[in-house]
Amino acid sequence: MKIVGVLVAFFGFVVSFASLALSSTGGRFAVVLVGLAITLFGILGILNSAHLKHAIWKTGASKE
Amino acid sequence: MKNLGAPRILLLLVALFSLPPCCLAQTPASPSAPGTSLAQSHKPITDADLANVPVPSPDVRAKGDTDGSLTGNAGDITVADSKKGLTVGDLANQVGQNKIAINIVWTLITGYLVMFMQLGFALLETGLARAKNANHTMMMNLVVYGVGMFAYWLCGFAIQMGGVGAVANLGGTPALNAEHIATFFGKPFGLFGQHGFFLMHKGTYDVGVMVLFLFQMVFMDTGATIPTGAAIERWKFSSFVVTSFLFAAFTYPLFANWAWGGGWLANLGANFGLGKGYVDFAGSGVVHAVGGVSALAIAMILGPRIGKFTRDGRPQAILAHDMVIVITGCLILAFGWFGFNPGSTLGASGSGNLRIGSIAVNTMLASAGGLLSAMLYMWMVCGKPDVSMTGNGFLAGLVAITAPCAFVNPISAVLIGLIAGVLVCISVAFVERNLQVDDPVGAISVHGACGIWGVISVGLFADGTSNYGGAWNGVNGSVTGLFYGDATQLLAQLMGVATLLGVVFVLSFCFGALVDLLMGQRASAKSELEGLDLPEMGSLAYPEFEMKSGN
Repeated sequence: MKIVGVLVAFFGFVVSFASLALSSTGGRFAVVLVGLAITLFGILGILNSAHLKHAIWKTGASKE
Repeated sequence: MKNLGAPRILLLLVALFSLPPCCLAQTPASPSAPGTSLAQSHKPITDADLANVPVPSPDVRAKGDTDGSLTGNAGDITVADSKKGLTVGDLANQVGQNKIAINIVWTLITGYLVMFMQLGFALLETGLARAKNANHTMMMNLVVYGVGMFAYWLCGFAIQMGGVGAVANLGGTPALNAEHIATFFGKPFGLFGQHGFFLMHKGTYDVGVMVLFLFQMVFMDTGATIPTGAAIERWKFSSFVVTSFLFAAFTYPLFANWAWGGGWLANLGANFGLGKGYVDFAGSGVVHAVGGVSALAIAMILGPRIGKFTRDGRPQAILAHDMVIVITGCLILAFGWFGFNPGSTLGASGSGNLRIGSIAVNTMLASAGGLLSAMLYMWMVCGKPDVSMTGNGFLAGLVAITAPCAFVNPISAVLIGLIAGVLVCISVAFVERNLQVDDPVGAISVHGACGIWGVISVGLFADGTSNYGGAWNGVNGSVTGLFYGDATQLLAQLMGVATLLGVVFVLSFCFGALVDLLMGQRASAKSELEGLDLPEMGSLAYPEFEMKSGN
């Protein structure tokens, strides 16, 4: 899932980058924001969740 | 009149004729018709005029110059031909060199101030660590300076600035003229520079290039030291060295090239009509957000410190060991910021550079805004004005104003700082409680979140009054944000944010994960519980103090 998270985050950038192919400012805004949302989902939603699955406090090494 | 004798009439006439010049000395001169008196009062200087400029004789100079009125005169101007004496050409050359000298000295001194920020980071991070990790944290802040500089000298600078072209404020850096270009959508996209490896490659052994290297190097090192804050108390030292090397050699220089080195983000205005392209005056994005998103990547890979979260995921406070040096560090950083932001003009003379006054004031106003709003927010939410969060708010204001400082007015600067102060408090809580990412100093929030806010704020608040040579990033006119009529500037800024998150974060994560795979990023649990000073460094920071359990 970590690799998926990284790929989704990068895909979000590709979407934002693709907005440059459009001519209207409104269209570019919409596509850039969609790309940003995808990137944030990739980082915070997928990648971080994948790390939290094996978080140190869940493995018993934590003090409490 | 009969009683007035001839001598008196003569005296009166003399007085009347002498009055106008006396009055003119106290009032501004009236405007002259073009091409008439203006031309007469601005006669071209000739070599003959210069030959008659008085110079203090050696006998006079030998007596000393107690009031400073004799030191520095026409005799100090270097002449090309001693037989001809001082010529107009000599004078013009001296004026030109003086302008560049002012800019070079300005850039060097402000660069030294930025270098001093390393101490601020070292004290801030070490103070927020526990005493048993103080030596390790100080060592990371020391070593990142040398490792980062070495990597940047090897290839980082060339990748970043190797294709920037002539930097006019520094007298031109013509050797930095090779940018690798790719083509997308039928437009050129600068990807990385190709000249300047080892500062010897392709004519880059040059005074202007050296000044540019020093200034850019200390900026890069500021970025490189940000991830250490998020990774203290658990980062294996050898892995930290390798990761920092990769940051300074590749991660930072790539984005810096795209924003500052003539790369594709800077040219979004020229190629796609997006404002003046991506605009980031002193590095809210290039330095702070790059450091902040890299800090997020490293903190994710490392995981939280032992004891930071309970088994049900609730965060626990791990107390700082010395708040005195934390606040000392904050104040040192604020002092260094007067090099960071005003110094980014790369000059004090010509091309609108006197706006450094406005840049410096905006910098200090935003820091006040961030400090006040963070302090009041924490006071309202927690009942006390939290010391470390007030310090973070202070820095958040500085981080946020770093990109827009050269383009906004003082009211906007305060607003940007006020928003940053609240944003950093909310972001710290979000990172800790929602993301469950352990960031002991708040680096992800201060530099990442507020760095991105600074980038966006250019696209909102730039008021279109600055004029640095009439154009920015090759587009004529002044940088103007959404609130002053140009929505496309905000779009360029959002493209920068998308790149920071979608490329810089991903690259940092991939480098960090690679190092983790090859050598492991995290110190052993035994070392962590003992404190990293002895296992990793072989010595304690405070050997004569008895450590309490858990410190």
